Amino acid sequence: MAAPSIFTEQEQAFLRELVRQRVDFMIVGLAAAALQGAPAVTQDIDLWFRDLGDPRLQEALKRVGGVYIPPTPSTPPMLGGRNVALFDIVVTMHGLDGFDRELENTIEVTIGRTKVRVLSLERIIVSKKATNREKDRLVLPVLEDAVATLRARNHRS
Amino acid sequence: MKLDPDQIKKRCKIKGLTLQELLESAAVSRTAYYSLARKDSVLPASLLAIAGELGVAPSAILREAPAAEWRTRALIRQAIRVVDQHPQASFENVWHTLVLLEEPPVDRLRRSLLRGRAVDLH
Repeated sequence: MAAPSIFTEQEQAFLRELVRQRVDFMIVGLAAAALQGAPAVTQDIDLWFRDLGDPRLQEALKRVGGVYIPPTPSTPPMLGGRNVALFDIVVTMHGLDGFDRELENTIEVTIGRTKVRVLSLERIIVSKKATNREKDRLVLPVLEDAVATLRARNHRS
Repeated sequence: MKLDPDQIKKRCKIKGLTLQELLESAAVSRTAYYSLARKDSVLPASLLAIAGELGVAPSAILREAPAAEWRTRALIRQAIRVVDQHPQASFENVWHTLVLLEEPPVDRLRRSLLRGRAVDLH
């Protein structure tokens, strides 16, 4: 097991509060891929919210000592505070449909004691292909091989 | 030494598998399994003969590999099967995925974050 020095209970508490407050969100990007077993490497946990103006999001943040920093012409919307520093807000998911449609392409993953919605590997691949930066192209074979592995495994069981 | 079907059922229950799922995952046919289950001894006759001459139970002259080794070998077999089905897939990627699937999601994510923070990707 990896050392629990990262993504600690305090950091997981934010996800717990989001679920408790019934905020509509999903984990996307490589953190979502890693949760599903892909050997991908990431620096942060990307969260996609249906509505950044949702007061329940503010409440969840408040309960873990975090703050929402609205976007400016030169900066994206951000989260501030020690317990939420690991999380990034994603505003646009290239190549994908809107939040509500993509919610149908999520799976439920248990993190600690919390069940969260996580974008499926197949849709992460679509998004990475659409974004098409060098780092996205590099990770595509890893994600595609993980899908093949999961399909073979699920087919067998 | 006979196969112990009760023990297998018990282990299946712990892992949340049916016998059918276990056999499929291990790539063992039902015929092979039931043939094994019917045998008076699953050990080769030569081994039984040696143990008999020594006057000990066969288990006394066998060295068992640790459970981790058996699990690793099973995962290697699974990885080979996936790559056989998907020749374009990298064995390394498939192997690492299978190893990560052995862990709870939170630990998979921790590994990913730890590596990501150790190597600056941006």
